[in-house]
Amino acid sequence: MKRLLALLFVAALAVLLLFLVTKMPSLGDPDNPARQGMATQYLERSPEDTGAQDAVTAVNVNYRGYDTMGKVGIIYCALMGVLAVLGREKRGRIQARLDGARVAPSKIVEVMVRFVIPFIILFSAYVIIHAEISPGGGFQGGAIIGASMIIFTTIFGLQEASRRMPQGLRVPLEGSAIMTFFVLGVLGIAGGGTFLTYAWPRVSTSIQPALANWLSVIVEMAIGIGVGFALISILFAMMREEEDLEPVA
Amino acid sequence: MNLSHNYLYAAAMLLFCIGLYNVIVRRNIVKKLIGLNIMETSVFFFYISLGYTRNGVAPVAGAGADPTRMVNPVPQVLVLTGIIVAVGVTALALSMVILLHRKYGTLDTDQIMRMARQEETQAAREEGN
Repeated sequence: MKRLLALLFVAALAVLLLFLVTKMPSLGDPDNPARQGMATQYLERSPEDTGAQDAVTAVNVNYRGYDTMGKVGIIYCALMGVLAVLGREKRGRIQARLDGARVAPSKIVEVMVRFVIPFIILFSAYVIIHAEISPGGGFQGGAIIGASMIIFTTIFGLQEASRRMPQGLRVPLEGSAIMTFFVLGVLGIAGGGTFLTYAWPRVSTSIQPALANWLSVIVEMAIGIGVGFALISILFAMMREEEDLEPVA
Repeated sequence: MNLSHNYLYAAAMLLFCIGLYNVIVRRNIVKKLIGLNIMETSVFFFYISLGYTRNGVAPVAGAGADPTRMVNPVPQVLVLTGIIVAVGVTALALSMVILLHRKYGTLDTDQIMRMARQEETQAAREEGN
């Protein structure tokens, strides 16, 4: 009965939404209202304004810098929420039930993971640093770093992973992204512009484009490291077991 | 007839409804969360298809790319925000699910509600005594 009611409700919603879809401008129309105004301005002016060839990166880091700072803050707040719910990590070794699993992962898997992880991290560095001239960026690269460490943790166990990435290393790097944003924003004010101005008016105009380019690369790198380590710490907090579970040998 | 032109939008709407149905009907909390993630994915899909331009190229300047033919970069940036929020919501919800499972030993919402109500009445009875 409950299922039937839910189905009826969802079907009514689907009919309503599909009716609205028929009233929308057709797909891929270059004269789409969403493509007028702001979007065309971004596309035409971003190479001169920001020095970034990729319009998505230009909008993300430069035109919508506040937005991106908020995004980094969201990831950090999510991490703090997870730690508040599941409890703070104690200093020293942490472990999961997975570490004591009776069936060890096969040798082939271990060797392959060891072999593949450096290449995954290299690819994430490429995605982050190449964001100015090709699709990519800090969030995507950070997610790839996080994914490589998640593979490592699921194969080698939480104890080994937390030995490689101790709390003392993760905690400063998690906050590095939002901290870098804040410091660069204040430096923009000191350089004579407003908060998060990359082309500082006080420096000579000849080095302004290069400065703006390098500052946005630094911001992308900080975002990548911050997001990657926040994802790793969220995983560690979820896999961690309570203290009173007996430690595995 | 416009529906066949806007088939990507229609697919996003149907995906949204599938996710919503899962959120309403499933009793397992993790399956509810999967439904929520399907709904979020449908929204991302809808946004990205809004930015699509027929015969468009990637919004990367250089190599003589024509700005009038590029796809819209703004939905891509907004979807990035959406993905971040989705990650945050999923992480927080899953950690609460872990707590619930530690306390009640089940993921079934009906059973958890029943146990919580029993605890409440028991606490009230003890207070009355």
